[in-house]
Amino acid sequence: MTERSAIAPPPHARWRLLVQFLGSMRLAVSLLVLLAIASIIGTILTQQQPYPNYALQFGPFWFQVFRELGLYNVYRTLWYTGIVAFLVLSTATCVTRNTPRMLREMRDFPTRQAEQVLLEQDEWVRMQSPLAPAAAGERAAQVLRAAGYRPRVEQVADGSLAVAARKGRYQRVGYFLTHIAIVVICGGALYNADVPVKWAEWRGALQPEKNFDLPLSQIPQKSWMSVHNPAYRGTITLPEGETANAVFELAGDGYLVQPLPFRIHLQSFQISYYSTGMPKDFISRIVLYNDQGKELKAGLVRVNHPMSYDGVEIYQSSFSDGGSLLRMNSYLLGAPGTSPRTLEGRVGQTLQAGNSGYAVDLKNFDLYNIVPKSAVGEKATPDHPTVNLGPSFTYIVHDKSGAGAEFKTYMTPITREGQGFFVQGFRTAFANPYQYVYIPTGPHGGIGLFMDYLAALQVAARAGSNASEAIFVDTFRQVVAQDAPEMSPNAQAVFLQASMDALLQLRDYPMPFVLSLSSFDHRWAAGLQVTKWPGTTVIYWGCVALVLGIFILFYLPQKRIWMRLRAHDEGVELLAGGSANRNRLDFEKEFSTLAAGLEQVLEGSEIAHKEKDNGKPAS
Amino acid sequence: MANLRVEQWSALPPAKGWWARLSMGDWAWAAGLTAAAGIVLGLYGAGFGYWQFVVLACWYAALMAAGLAWRPMQIATLAVVAPALLAVWLYSIGQTPANNFLLRDVLQGYAAALWMSGLLLAATAAYLVFLFTRSERLGRWATGLTWAGAIMGFIALGVRWRETYIGHPDWGHIPVSNLWEVFVLFCASTPLFYLYYEKRNQARALGAFVLPLVAAGVGFLLWLTFAQHMDRIEPLIPALQSFWMKLHVPMMFVGYANFTIASLVGFAYLLGERSRRRGGWLGRALPTGAVMDDVMYKAIALGFLFFTASTILGAVWAAEAWGGFWSWDPKETWALIVWLNYAGYLHARVVKGWRGTAMAWWSAMSLWVVSFCFLGVNLFLSGLHSYGQL
Ligand code: HEM
Repeated sequence: MTERSAIAPPPHARWRLLVQFLGSMRLAVSLLVLLAIASIIGTILTQQQPYPNYALQFGPFWFQVFRELGLYNVYRTLWYTGIVAFLVLSTATCVTRNTPRMLREMRDFPTRQAEQVLLEQDEWVRMQSPLAPAAAGERAAQVLRAAGYRPRVEQVADGSLAVAARKGRYQRVGYFLTHIAIVVICGGALYNADVPVKWAEWRGALQPEKNFDLPLSQIPQKSWMSVHNPAYRGTITLPEGETANAVFELAGDGYLVQPLPFRIHLQSFQISYYSTGMPKDFISRIVLYNDQGKELKAGLVRVNHPMSYDGVEIYQSSFSDGGSLLRMNSYLLGAPGTSPRTLEGRVGQTLQAGNSGYAVDLKNFDLYNIVPKSAVGEKATPDHPTVNLGPSFTYIVHDKSGAGAEFKTYMTPITREGQGFFVQGFRTAFANPYQYVYIPTGPHGGIGLFMDYLAALQVAARAGSNASEAIFVDTFRQVVAQDAPEMSPNAQAVFLQASMDALLQLRDYPMPFVLSLSSFDHRWAAGLQVTKWPGTTVIYWGCVALVLGIFILFYLPQKRIWMRLRAHDEGVELLAGGSANRNRLDFEKEFSTLAAGLEQVLEGSEIAHKEKDNGKPAS
Repeated sequence: MANLRVEQWSALPPAKGWWARLSMGDWAWAAGLTAAAGIVLGLYGAGFGYWQFVVLACWYAALMAAGLAWRPMQIATLAVVAPALLAVWLYSIGQTPANNFLLRDVLQGYAAALWMSGLLLAATAAYLVFLFTRSERLGRWATGLTWAGAIMGFIALGVRWRETYIGHPDWGHIPVSNLWEVFVLFCASTPLFYLYYEKRNQARALGAFVLPLVAAGVGFLLWLTFAQHMDRIEPLIPALQSFWMKLHVPMMFVGYANFTIASLVGFAYLLGERSRRRGGWLGRALPTGAVMDDVMYKAIALGFLFFTASTILGAVWAAEAWGGFWSWDPKETWALIVWLNYAGYLHARVVKGWRGTAMAWWSAMSLWVVSFCFLGVNLFLSGLHSYGQL
């Protein structure tokens, strides 16, 4: 359409040329395809990872190149948004240029058309009828009426009769709706994207803070956005029982602080489970207060069920440990006769293990560990493919020299063939998988028996004994006699064998002590996302317009038919021509039915019709 | 003389409005569907939230429109609903696949999906042989088998919907939540739409191009079933527990099915035109270029409409589940790529008036884009849409 109606602009009007270019179909199709191709990048390269990950993946040179191109956050780069902006501009130009013409076309539908115009239609037929012009005109109109048109008949000055009819007059509304919708949706998205903040960031008035460990009160003012910011999307990790009045928004490799117009208090967080152990729902019970401590709203925030207050939406987005209190026993490997020391701390804290110089970082606590049964050597059944290993905690131990290892300790022992095992995972590099030590548990459940045995072995070794089988067995007898005389011979044999395995596994064990969890006070933290998006309503209306517009464009095609009846000696000659702007093949069928009907009621005969190059698609 | 003319005049059929074109069958269809919706409302309406009314209204409108636009849909719907209801009733009186052979061998979701697979594989073979022999009888068999396969597929989905509730009512969900279920949907809906284009255009030879891809889908489905055991019913992760899924996913598959058909017709067009230039037999077996061009456009248009609506619903859902309309998650981005691709196609065709070979290439090659969006993203990329991972 655009191309056909384009008129060459006068040379002086440069801007016209620009408008012409912006509204050209060639540009539109190119931009659509270009944008599609550009979008692929961000799906191949995982977006918004910490920069060190990329550096590791690509090496320093390509890391830098890709960073300059913005490939780590493609969809927010200037060049990508530039293409989108160009597309929107092009669409807007297109709409402004086409709308007046389309409106005119919608309003004016001339009954009379020059014969030449009729012959230019996609379909035409010429026929001869013995009837008088008036009667023939009436009947022709009747045929159109029968086909669902509302024809108009007009007497032309030269004595001929003009008949015209159309369907789908409002098809152009579809064009208008779809294309305006694109502009509106992108406009709404732009508003939601909070341009003023991006601008302030670009100017340097706002500076993302890079230190993620600062407490809120120490974050410099330069990283704070205004509480009146019209649009934002931030997250906060809130431990149970705590209150926050600000959220964090990632920006580049740092973050910005968005103060909220209210305080969020997390009363409790809860996970509900299916019978398979799969999580069923994540539920935060929150209360909103104003600065004076007045309660504004209280309720649950669940996945798919955000809470809305005063234009701000609060979503359940993640969860983590909120600083659970852990009570642990620490066993020194190979210290005879000592009872375990107790240790206590919250997840997130760093403990000193006595005065040994070892620092223990309590990293995480997991209430449940659901793993495939095969992972622990059990047989999986279709109904129960997984097993719950119960609570575990992970911690990192550093010695004085700074060397460290990570540990994962399960609280409850697992049972294999009647013998219990305390499971302890360790690794000295994060990239490695855990290695596991399975320490057998004694008749009372703890690992004390094994520890005593280990200590006794070391005493024996120091006393000069060789590592013969007899020593292992004798030492074990002594330890059992002292610690667990009630153990059956069979259980003793199993325990001894398991201990031998554990001793082998312990050879790579990097630290001289083992921590076991004796009890805990679990405390969750909920990850909440808080957004304010005033452009949303506009976007929704844009979407409605888009779908409606597409429907109209496809399914209410505009069809136009004109006829000219010219009187001569033996009756009239009729020329009928018509076009549809979609689904020409359907229209071709409709038109030939129409022509057959005309021939019948006009008692006429066809003289000529539009030649078709059959088989080739109509163009 | 004049009188005679007037008589002839009034002998013309009166202007037939849209209403007058409806047959008795259509009226029965409309009445039956309305009654069914009424029964659902009567039985369960009291417990409905607003969104359940929305879902019901959408399904009602879609079935009504489809049935009126294409009459075989009326019978097909009955052929799906009656056996599915029978299975639901059997379950409700305590029958199980273990003690009822009808459930075990035919009607339970798993068995019906296998029936679908077998029927569609047979249909594929029939279409291929039909293309070479052009035996009219074989052609009718091919069409019939395709119908049967599609119907079994939808029975499978319907019964499985019920089965998700059995034993653990809190697991219940529409069966479009994992790769196995959406593949049943894909394998059932693509032939259904194909049958529409076949019937409208008397273009049976196209089946030899469309059905092989469906057969490949069936092959993948069987692999998922026997090697991955993905036919097991699993509960939904929290993010999927949303009524938007009941609209978003089925609409997406109207898009996928139609885009797939358009691509394969594109291939048929290219091969057909080539053969025509050389006077080969394929050119004579296939419908004219104009018809194939038209089928491509119509399929893409219908697909584009539903794909647009579905992507929007997905964005609305994401806004509710993840707090953002658009997270540039790989699945979303690929949906955008598919959408832009077809927007480009439509502009080139409608506005620039391109036709023929170039557009057939475009449509054919879009198969890669669509299948990457549908399957490739799940297999090769990770993201928030991880429901479909193996
Ligand atoms: C994201 C951007 C765009 C989308 C999604 C879009 C969508 C559409 C759709 C779906 C159609 C209907 C095609 C058909 O009937 O088969 C259409 C038609 C059209 N588009 Fe676009 N369009 C976009 C951008 C543009 C731009 C930038 C221009 C201007 C150069 C443009 C000009 C037109 C014209 C002139 C028509 C034909 C209208 C008619 O003949 O009734 N579009 N567009």
